[in-house]
Amino acid sequence: MSSITAKAGAMSSQPVRRRAKVDRSHWVGLLYIAPAILLVTVFFVIPLGMTAWMSLHNWPLMGQHRFIGLDNYVAITKDVRFWNALKFTLYYTVIVTIAIFAVAFPLALFVEKPRPMASVYRTAFFMPVVVGFASASLLWAWLLNVDSGLFSPAAQQLGLTEKKFNLIATFNPAFWSIIVMVVWKVAGFTMVILMTGLQSIPTELQEAAKIDGANAWQRFRAITLPLMRRTVALALILSVAGSILAFDQFYILLRGGPRNSTITAVYWIFNQSFVSFKLGYGAALSMVLLVILVVLSLIQLRLLRNPEGT
Amino acid sequence: MKTTTRWLAATAALLSMTALASAAETANIWVRADGSNFMPQIVEAFNKGHENQIKLDIIPNGELVQKYATSAAGGTAPDGLSLDLIYTPAFAAAGQLEDITDWAKSLPYFKDLSPAHVKTGTYKDKIYGLPFSADSSVLIWNKKLFKQAGLDPEKGPANFAEIAADAEKVAALGGDIKGFYFSGACGGCNIFTFTPLIWASGGDILSEDGSKATLDTPQMRDAIALYRGMVEKGLVPEGAKTDSGANFFAAFAAGNIGIAPSGAFAIGALNTQYKDIDYGVTFLPGKDGGSSSFAGGDNFVVTKGTPKLAVLKEFLDYAYSLEGQTLLASRGSLPVRGDLAKEALKDLDPRYQIAAEAMAKGRTPYSVVFNDIINSANGPWAQMINEVFFGDDVDGAIANAQETMQGIIDAGTGQ
Repeated sequence: MSSITAKAGAMSSQPVRRRAKVDRSHWVGLLYIAPAILLVTVFFVIPLGMTAWMSLHNWPLMGQHRFIGLDNYVAITKDVRFWNALKFTLYYTVIVTIAIFAVAFPLALFVEKPRPMASVYRTAFFMPVVVGFASASLLWAWLLNVDSGLFSPAAQQLGLTEKKFNLIATFNPAFWSIIVMVVWKVAGFTMVILMTGLQSIPTELQEAAKIDGANAWQRFRAITLPLMRRTVALALILSVAGSILAFDQFYILLRGGPRNSTITAVYWIFNQSFVSFKLGYGAALSMVLLVILVVLSLIQLRLLRNPEGT
Repeated sequence: MKTTTRWLAATAALLSMTALASAAETANIWVRADGSNFMPQIVEAFNKGHENQIKLDIIPNGELVQKYATSAAGGTAPDGLSLDLIYTPAFAAAGQLEDITDWAKSLPYFKDLSPAHVKTGTYKDKIYGLPFSADSSVLIWNKKLFKQAGLDPEKGPANFAEIAADAEKVAALGGDIKGFYFSGACGGCNIFTFTPLIWASGGDILSEDGSKATLDTPQMRDAIALYRGMVEKGLVPEGAKTDSGANFFAAFAAGNIGIAPSGAFAIGALNTQYKDIDYGVTFLPGKDGGSSSFAGGDNFVVTKGTPKLAVLKEFLDYAYSLEGQTLLASRGSLPVRGDLAKEALKDLDPRYQIAAEAMAKGRTPYSVVFNDIINSANGPWAQMINEVFFGDDVDGAIANAQETMQGIIDAGTGQ
């Protein structure tokens, strides 16, 4: 009996000890991530909650606010200018993302291999990333200025055009000027992400394929691209999210012009919140944009998920 | 004993001085960056001569409304504010401002204060803002270019036909010289300088109480035809089409523009920073003559419930004195007291007299949604002017703007 009891006691004491161990490590782990939890709570969860709460109110920039339930969301369904802005934002996102990848991938391939001056090239291509979007937009605003800028007077001086040309006066030149500016500004960042992905591909694979007689294109298609899936997914999600939230360059360079044709979703949210003084409505628009962004990111993740799970 | 008495008296005097000093209060006021020419000077002058003090903060133009709103929500709003007069109705409607009707009406010179300012400072028959600084819109011309073009350099254009003819002659000089300039993508600039052309011709863009948009009028179409004609003839620089206001004054100051509508502020700026430009100042005319002007500038408003009202009153009293008005005038703001205007301006450039006269006749549209319908770069006014000056569909642009503007007015500040 006593031995049975002793055995039972020994058996029961073991799991208790393990649980205590687990519990302790659980708290230690929590302590380690506490600063991150605090930051996310203060700077993301609470503002998000407040925005959601605000979106249920008639909340003028000045004066008293009152609860109106889902009225702001109903109003959004009839807000033609928001849907137009969203359409334009998606159009811009598609074009600019393709353009960024079209420039960043060759650049990444170019600077990835050890070659003379590789670090100089990397630095040079990355440099515009360091400039803030607002500063870069102001710089381009000057470059594009028809009278005092660089492009139009230079083209005239070089005899390329007879008359001055105002690049931001009509939609297409204005839109493509923005695309060029953003690619100049952002491609270096995407290049670095893609470069680290390229460098993480084991060289043995490439060597083996080379020995098997695969040419450069075959190696790129069969080895580089498949193994870059996750890196591309990361770069793509960052690029799409950044483009969906585009604001500074359109606000500073074009102010939504020519004739309201380049108003992005965030521009419209800013406009409703701080020009029309409707903070509650702006918050509701922000929530709608957030949902759209989350859905788009999930779709991208699903499409680019590695089928082998590696 | 005598020494003790002396000591006691000295201590009492010191104590009473300390008590006086501690009774002095400091009120905090804000001004938009446009007021940075005159506000620090008048605050400094006031602080030198008064026990009570003013602490001034200068806020970037585009941020003032947002910053004030967030400060008011957080309970840290300033005691008073020198506020772009067109915003006064919106601030008053939001319940942010102190009703100062009794005090305003008790001022012996109340009837002499700029009527346009007082009108925008009034909301539902109560006064929430009093005039502080003023800037009227005028027409300026480059005398040197007029002379070169064979025009009388001392005579500015006095009607639409003369503006177009003079601009054409100046532009004929060729090169980079153009006849006329305006910021074609700036709602605020054009409400300031384009609407006076309509007013002077007998039209208006809003009803008196701001409840109706009245854009589609023959007077509007005449004024549009004037600008459009000059654009079509190439008398206006290409950059005007996309200028959101950055070049509003700088284009004329560069010396190669014949005529430009501008503000009284240009007189001070040209005299101090562009001394080599010889220019004339005249009224903004109507189609067949006459004149009008936009009465711009700031109203002084008081944050609701401030405990420093007495200090603010003292400060405003000083600003309204001859000394204050003269000081303001010398720093680029027109006097807001009509009865003192001549005296305050007597030692200054005589061209200020024209601006002051324009101010006296000046008008300001009244609207609680002014920012939304006029100032916004994406609002109906800014969109319409760009389309009608440079686009293909004048009728469609006017009709669209009329409908959008009326929709925003009807919706008011609510959602």
